[in-house]
Amino acid sequence: MEELIQELKEHIIEVLNLEDMTPADIEDDAPLFGEGLGLDSIDALELIVMMEKEYGIKLKSPAEGKEIFKSVHVMAQYVNEHRTK
Amino acid sequence: MVRVIADNIISPMGMSTEQNYLAVKAGQSALRRYEQHWGLPDAFTASLFTDEQNAAMHLDGFTRFEALVMRCVQPLLATAGIDVASDRVVFILATTKANIEQLQRGNEPTSDIVPGEAAQKIARALGFTTMPIVVCNACISGVAAIVLAQQLLEAGTYDTAVVCGADVQDKFTVSGFQSLKAVAEDACRPFDIERLGLNLGEGAAAMVLQREGVGADKEASCCIEAGAVRNDAFHLSSPSKTGEGARLALQAIHATELASELAFINAHGTATMFNDQMESIAIERAGLQSVPVNALKGTFGHTMGAAGILETVISIAALHDHTILGSRGFEELGVSGHIRLSNRHEATDKRRFVKMISGFGGGNAAISVSLPSTLNHKPSALNPQPSTLRHHLKVTEGGISLDGQTLPLQSRGRELLVEAYKTFIGDYPKFYKMDGLSRLGFVAAELLLQAERGEHLTGTPEARNDRAIILFNNTSSIMADRHYWATVSDLEASFPSPAHFVYTLPNIVAGELAIRHQYRGETSFYILPRRDETLMAQVVNAAMADGSASSALTGWIDYPCDEHFEAELWIIEN
Repeated sequence: MEELIQELKEHIIEVLNLEDMTPADIEDDAPLFGEGLGLDSIDALELIVMMEKEYGIKLKSPAEGKEIFKSVHVMAQYVNEHRTK
Repeated sequence: MVRVIADNIISPMGMSTEQNYLAVKAGQSALRRYEQHWGLPDAFTASLFTDEQNAAMHLDGFTRFEALVMRCVQPLLATAGIDVASDRVVFILATTKANIEQLQRGNEPTSDIVPGEAAQKIARALGFTTMPIVVCNACISGVAAIVLAQQLLEAGTYDTAVVCGADVQDKFTVSGFQSLKAVAEDACRPFDIERLGLNLGEGAAAMVLQREGVGADKEASCCIEAGAVRNDAFHLSSPSKTGEGARLALQAIHATELASELAFINAHGTATMFNDQMESIAIERAGLQSVPVNALKGTFGHTMGAAGILETVISIAALHDHTILGSRGFEELGVSGHIRLSNRHEATDKRRFVKMISGFGGGNAAISVSLPSTLNHKPSALNPQPSTLRHHLKVTEGGISLDGQTLPLQSRGRELLVEAYKTFIGDYPKFYKMDGLSRLGFVAAELLLQAERGEHLTGTPEARNDRAIILFNNTSSIMADRHYWATVSDLEASFPSPAHFVYTLPNIVAGELAIRHQYRGETSFYILPRRDETLMAQVVNAAMADGSASSALTGWIDYPCDEHFEAELWIIEN
């Protein structure tokens, strides 16, 4: 799980171009959207693409993503249970 | 006020305005569901030309897009009886992606991948001699082109404008909207409670517009009374939740005062969750809840650069027919703003309507259109105030200079922009998410406005509705187009990137600047076959002539590749 969390943080930084950040700057349980990293709706869509590309998880709508992208921790749990690659 | 003396529509439903209008009135649509089309895994519904229609429209030496524009404009020129070769006539082309189909050819695409080149080729073939202007303002391009024509005609720069909006669809655009989760698999349902997104459409529409007093022997079918473009300054791909820019645009054309005289408002009505909701709020906030609203996307789909002109031309035909067209696909109101909508046609004896439209980059546009009246209208403002130039900034791959002074920076090319950001700005991490064109515009505008603020000693940026952003270039968003296409065309792993797709519209840079500096005035992006200072000055002066913008952030901003780019921006005050 630790490894997956680290890997997710690296993917997030890469696909969302969070240039000035390192994985250590992202807390496991901090909210990704809203206050947290200040991500917006396009970032959410980009994370949906990342989930499919890296883990073979296909999310239908941004609404579905909302629950899953609550924090890196929640994302990791979801990936663990649903990944197809 | 400018007069509409001729118009035309080509769509999968017909090859003339009349054919299209009759098809709309009969409740028809060319929307069809496509599965496994263009190698796209997800189904979509769209209004596309058939193979037979494409073959019939083919012109040797022209692309599908170019042939569509030619077929739409050519018959108009004879009908309107204008001297195309005159230096008093301008050709304005509204399009979002023009010849983007060319990117898919695999080998290096031809030069007309750049919309300015395509426009020049079409203009020459049609006999125009003045430089064509391409309006590339995302979804609002069509209405924005009518507004530009109105501004140029009222300022006396030209006597006649031939305005055409056109787009064709392909894997590039459909995959992009799918990546944004904005495409409905089935026929779209504007303003309906069960709406699930938009349908894309192909088509072209054109109008010949003339200044009052010019060619008065030609009967006008309608008049464009007023037009405005305003920005939300909120988000690149989501409309303002309070409908800010759309409300400002409606206000700017005095729609509120006209409420009791309006037959209808033809809304954008894309059938996406956010657009339709926003429009309902803007209409209510503008005090127009009593005016019937309709939307034509359930008939034509979203024809992108054509939409604003196509829907205006259909609305003009409806006004002449004393009809408020019903909105195909609509059943039960699913927006929170109080508006009146129906899927049935109604009769009207009113003589005026409003067309509104919104799009990526935060742009919103509105025009009011009326049947010709016998009343004498006050003459248009023909003498724009002379403008004063304040501050001047130039960025190339080799360095940056502000008011003639070179800034101390070491890097070159793409890295130069990053160094400038880190050295002089540094508080806007979104910079790293931007494509090259937006980074270039962001750095240039930031340094320019820092100089302005230093002069005024106010420190923090101030929100303002009276500053326009009017930008020009030659290569549109070509770098972002290539980057996005690379995410789509990888056969092994095609994962279209929504973040890259958003930047495949050059006006996004204007949207970035509007958001950063909270400017809600006009934002416009124009593409020219080559840089022409005189024409650029004429466009900016004409935009400022009606007094709604007291200053403009304007200039040239072109990013053909990471090694060569150029931005030259300045501030003009009236």
